[in-house]
Amino acid sequence: MSVMAQSPTTAPSQGGNSGTLYDVLELILDRGLVIDAFVRVSLVGIEILKVDVRVVVASVDTYLRFAEACNRLDLESGRKAPTQLTDIVGETTESGAKGKTKGALSGAVEAVGQTLGRGRKGDEEPESADGDGKKTTSRRSAAREE
Amino acid sequence: MSTYVYAITPADHPLRLEGLHGVGEPAGELRVLKTDALGAVVSDAPEDLRAKRRDLMAHQSVLSRLLDEGTALPMRFGLVGPDDGQVLAALDERRDEYGKRLKEIDGCVEYHVKVSRDEADMLREIVAESAEIRELNEVTRERPEAHTERLRLGELISREVRTRQDAVAESVVTHLAPVGLGHRVGSATASHFLNVSFLVKRDEAAAFARAVDEEVERQGAGYVVSLHGPLPPYSFV
Repeated sequence: MSVMAQSPTTAPSQGGNSGTLYDVLELILDRGLVIDAFVRVSLVGIEILKVDVRVVVASVDTYLRFAEACNRLDLESGRKAPTQLTDIVGETTESGAKGKTKGALSGAVEAVGQTLGRGRKGDEEPESADGDGKKTTSRRSAAREE
Repeated sequence: MSTYVYAITPADHPLRLEGLHGVGEPAGELRVLKTDALGAVVSDAPEDLRAKRRDLMAHQSVLSRLLDEGTALPMRFGLVGPDDGQVLAALDERRDEYGKRLKEIDGCVEYHVKVSRDEADMLREIVAESAEIRELNEVTRERPEAHTERLRLGELISREVRTRQDAVAESVVTHLAPVGLGHRVGSATASHFLNVSFLVKRDEAAAFARAVDEEVERQGAGYVVSLHGPLPPYSFV
């Protein structure tokens, strides 16, 4: 798992596999052929399925969120750096490396989790999905530890 | 009883559906409707169809099987005709159009590529490269009430994010598109700034996978690329 997170990784997958169903949901729901005269059944809950909302990059909300993330980012790295430097040599290799790995990877793990996590969510009844990304990620982490 | 349609195939498709079932609870039984030129895989449409996992799986599994054994136009999930007769009538009426589309995707599959980047990783890069952003970051940290500077900081970061994402998206499409016969870019989402599908000849699948690997190498650490496929060519019908 760390390996996947450390380097960008491709994960070829079969479309029929339940683990990746969620990743191709948009294709199944939004693409594919329609016959003009026919109806698409009104699928209650289908909008809820699309938890992965489209993003508007140029908006005040986005600006404020980026600014806040940036402020936090500096504080975090400011705290981390001295810890690594002041570690005694014997422990530096292990805890230093660990700390660094964790700091650098936690985000990446989450990113992978989002990708694969949606496959996990596919194991649930999708209409119960409520768009809580964290829930997806944590559920997936638990599942991965099995 | 209305009729749920899964796919349209050429009349000579083997249409082996053993072990598969349709949408609904209990699962609908799959049937084949045929005209001289075309076939359609259908089942009775359930009254209260919703996008449940088992229904999506049923739909996708039928299409995957049809794809394994020949060419098929995948229908969008949830498409329902009034009855079998109307489905047959539609096949007859659009016979030329469907025939043409089937030819276009003959021997092809869809690959779907998603790209995301860890936000903190990207922000670190942006902060490191811009003195103005570093300065605004200091100012807004020290003076939380500095609203104008905060907006300016966010705007600058936003622009940098967009520039980076656009560059990577363009690179991915530019390098992968030549291996396929067509591509279709979807909307960016909160988790993936690039979602793009490629129509690829079956016998080019290995070359496509290699091209994806090369692109991953090119973009380096920090990006997560996921590749899904082979899929029925949902995006190219």
